[in-house]
Amino acid sequence: MIVDLPAHDADPAEVLRYLGRGSQSVSSDIEGRLETQMGRARELARPRASIKCFPIASRDAEKSTISLEGCALGLEGASIAEHLAGARAVALMAVTIGMALERELRRLALLNSLDQALFDAAATTLVECAAEDAEALVRSRAREQGRFANARFSPGYGDLPLACQPTLLDALDARRRLGITLSPSLLMTPTKSVTAVIGIFDELPPRMRTTCADCPCHEYCTIHRSGGSCRGD
Amino acid sequence: METRTSATTHATTTNAAEKSRLSPRGRLVEAGARIADDHLRRVLEGRDFLLFDGAMGTQLQARGLAAGETPELLCLTNPREIAEIHRAYVEAGSEVVTTNTFGASAPKLAGAATVEEVFSAAVACARESGARYVAADIGPTGALLQPMGTLSFDDAYDLFAEQVRAADAAGADLVVIETMADLAEAKAALLAARENCRLPVFCTMTFDEDGRTFLGTTPEVAALTLSGLGADVIGINCSLGPADVAPLVERMLPWACCPVMAQANAGLPRVEGGVTVYDVTPEQFADAVGGMVDAGVTVIGGCCGTTPAYIARERALLEGRTPAPRDVRRDFAVASSQRLTVLPDSHVGVIGERINPTGKRRMKEALRSGNHDLIISEAIAQEEAGAQILDVNAGLPEIDERATLARLMSELQGVTALPIQVDSAVPETIEATVRSYPGKPVINSTNGRRDTLDAVVPIAARYGCALVGLTIDEEGIPPTAEGRLAIARRIVAATDAANIPRQDVVIDCLCMAASTDQSAPRTILDAIALVKRELPGVRCVLGVSNVSFGLPFRPLVNATFLAAAFAAGLDLCIINPLQQRMMDVVRSWRALTGEDESAQAYVAAYANRTDDAAAATTTAAARQDPTSSDADSTGDAQDPCERARSLVLSGRKQPMADAMAQILSDHDTLFAINEVLVPALDEVGIRFERGTFFLPQLMAAAEAAKAGFDAIKASAASAEATATKGTVAICTVKGDIHDIGKNIVRMLLENYGFDVLDLGRDVDPQDFCDAVVERHIRVAGLSALMTATVPAMAETITLLNEQAPWCKTIVGGAVLTPEYAEMVGADYYAKDATETARIAQEILAQPE
Repeated sequence: MIVDLPAHDADPAEVLRYLGRGSQSVSSDIEGRLETQMGRARELARPRASIKCFPIASRDAEKSTISLEGCALGLEGASIAEHLAGARAVALMAVTIGMALERELRRLALLNSLDQALFDAAATTLVECAAEDAEALVRSRAREQGRFANARFSPGYGDLPLACQPTLLDALDARRRLGITLSPSLLMTPTKSVTAVIGIFDELPPRMRTTCADCPCHEYCTIHRSGGSCRGD
Repeated sequence: METRTSATTHATTTNAAEKSRLSPRGRLVEAGARIADDHLRRVLEGRDFLLFDGAMGTQLQARGLAAGETPELLCLTNPREIAEIHRAYVEAGSEVVTTNTFGASAPKLAGAATVEEVFSAAVACARESGARYVAADIGPTGALLQPMGTLSFDDAYDLFAEQVRAADAAGADLVVIETMADLAEAKAALLAARENCRLPVFCTMTFDEDGRTFLGTTPEVAALTLSGLGADVIGINCSLGPADVAPLVERMLPWACCPVMAQANAGLPRVEGGVTVYDVTPEQFADAVGGMVDAGVTVIGGCCGTTPAYIARERALLEGRTPAPRDVRRDFAVASSQRLTVLPDSHVGVIGERINPTGKRRMKEALRSGNHDLIISEAIAQEEAGAQILDVNAGLPEIDERATLARLMSELQGVTALPIQVDSAVPETIEATVRSYPGKPVINSTNGRRDTLDAVVPIAARYGCALVGLTIDEEGIPPTAEGRLAIARRIVAATDAANIPRQDVVIDCLCMAASTDQSAPRTILDAIALVKRELPGVRCVLGVSNVSFGLPFRPLVNATFLAAAFAAGLDLCIINPLQQRMMDVVRSWRALTGEDESAQAYVAAYANRTDDAAAATTTAAARQDPTSSDADSTGDAQDPCERARSLVLSGRKQPMADAMAQILSDHDTLFAINEVLVPALDEVGIRFERGTFFLPQLMAAAEAAKAGFDAIKASAASAEATATKGTVAICTVKGDIHDIGKNIVRMLLENYGFDVLDLGRDVDPQDFCDAVVERHIRVAGLSALMTATVPAMAETITLLNEQAPWCKTIVGGAVLTPEYAEMVGADYYAKDATETARIAQEILAQPE
């Protein structure tokens, strides 16, 4: 499924956090420049996701590999095994905000390092928004089917190897549909892209967030708006 | 019978491929192509329709192919099923079936099979279907090319060439390059196909809803560039449903000097009851394709979601039809990957001349030092001033012109969408530059000399470039208009013979000074008029500024002459668009001739202009940053030193020049640097270290300090102020394109008075090492952001230790730790940019 995600405004406080701000005050100069770059990032962003669901076929405890039905992706490692303990299926997702931001990053790299750093932080915030959005979508779809989805887990977290990126992107046809490319060192370009695995459960999985307030998907959640929650209550 | 014929041809073609591999320059357009039969020949001439097949992936998925599996391997493991899919298309009416080799490149096959094995099996499967023609399918590499990505043009070419040779050896009838999003990658694939086999080459790109590829290329640019480069058929595949593809393919038609094809998707996929379905029916599909055929598309088929049912409809659609006549535009047109520059007849165009070291000290210095900031700002300033093409000349005897041009091409693409005019006297350099240029450039130049014609005209022909021809030959510049026309005739005879379209040939009648010969201007004007009259279709270009050499107030003379040259028929001028007076002539001429319809652009630009402005020339190419602050509120009464310090600390660069000017009225430059700027920067460093400043504040302070240093440099006539503390070479290592950290380091190092040689990102270890050795650089800074690229850092350090043992290494970047630094053999680990500057100072303070 290819989804055009809604455009969001990055939260300036969040962008400043990416830039390493603690308690420092921000001059109006920097604030103004940040605003310009945030506006530019929003204007260029084209948030889009590819999402597909596959049932879990088997778990090989010895090699700690989870294999999927109808998908060549094998999920290796103890951390993803733990994340998917008890899951019946997984949702795979790839999200990007597009190549136009990558071009702008390169342009700014040649023109002004500070603007580049500000734009980069704004873009990072936007792709995080897009990833939350896609995750919220998976959760609401799961609820519609009476199931539960846990948080997204990306290659490179824990011991889930980055080496699974090529198969993951191919399974989502992300190269063709989203324009995500992969370097031999497994770097995605556009760099503002996220891939992840979400577990789908029949029962409410343990360690799900207990309140909506501290859920990163809160803002993007459609279930919440209709009064429910992805925990089924 | 068919198989045997193709086997025989195949034997001869392998030899041809062998030969072309030996001479990598490849074949010329006219060299004998291997065309399967007369129908295919008629297709390539646009006289017959050709029907391709539909989707392969959709069919495989319907048969249970797992997502993410390598479908190409099925040619080896399940050949019967693949052949069945092909056969169903043939039965539905496909004349061409496309092999199941979309991703069959060495990296994607990852050792599971060789490229040869896959193509051999895939072509056999396709043959077995009984199709009239087998098209060898080549998709993108999946990696992104430089400068945005890390794959080099030549490496991409090699991957494609391997596929093309395998396809040719397996006996394919044609090559189809498809689903390309990057014009540079499409170009690499197309050149690989043309230079490694004699089969017809079809090349299609994929576009998004906004009418551009993911990399920003428009249908017009794709059509102009790929058909100019010798693709036999160009077009669009995949992308969208046929109704959305139709307007895009119609934008291609006027710019393609070859047949145009369309293979749309069956609309958008959606999942219904666990099955993927597409929202365009075969009937609707054929309806939309009918519109494209009426508009002039002659090669059709389908992409994702299409099945034999769609192909059968298209077959029926073609019954009884003949290809619609098409008009291909004959305008002068060039393109970057992002923008088409078109000059319809009687319009005038501006080529920016500023990026050229001749007679420009700072430009020479920028080219020599490798610090290209000045060149980049010249490019942007010229674009803003109205240039439509940028002339780029890096011809300095003491530098590697080819390597410098390669770097400039990549940097300029990053900051401007203007097409490039490659200005070099060395044919090999011209070829290397235009070969990988993503778009259609202008070559500047050839001339009437036999050897130059023989060397440069074939390059323009092979790579589909526009070409400037100077009216000079072995005897020099003829003194008469007729003499120049005679040389122009020789040039055009050579370009005609090489099949270069007339509109791509631009004659420069060469400007001479009026002060040495007052009949010279008249002669040039006559020559332009003669060339335009006697060589129909050819364009004229002129660099006008020579005319005023030796006269006072040259801009006035230049402007008057430019207007006269336009009247004589000049199409393109090579000028400094930052000279207001020159652009005044261009804009007013456009208003007078109707090129500027209803003079709208003229009125918009000049409604409030008074005559005083005419004398003003914009000089500062250095861009004023619009983002910085308003009035200086730090207080004028303050001591200027204190004021400068406070400006640095508060990161305000705008008032800095003024503050420095005040300081320099009482003090020397050394005082300004050592007693004002450096202490302020030290204070910034301390605040950053303590956490009172965070990154943007550090960087804003560095910007303000840089404005201070620039003011000092501008004021100091002597070199003492700019005496450097030494050079530091920096880069982000091979495989890594994250450069924010490296750019911050560069900024701070420059502030502390170091010369910085910034080799960029994704830098090859040996290239970095060569630069360090060549300049005997004593400090190298290496950055890596990903664990995967730390080995490249280690490799760079090993090379440096071997080849430049005098050079100390500092490493940094997100994944680096002191432990990693030790592991890769670095001399120093720096946790941030301020520490890098401190370590560099420490190293360079010691005698070598």
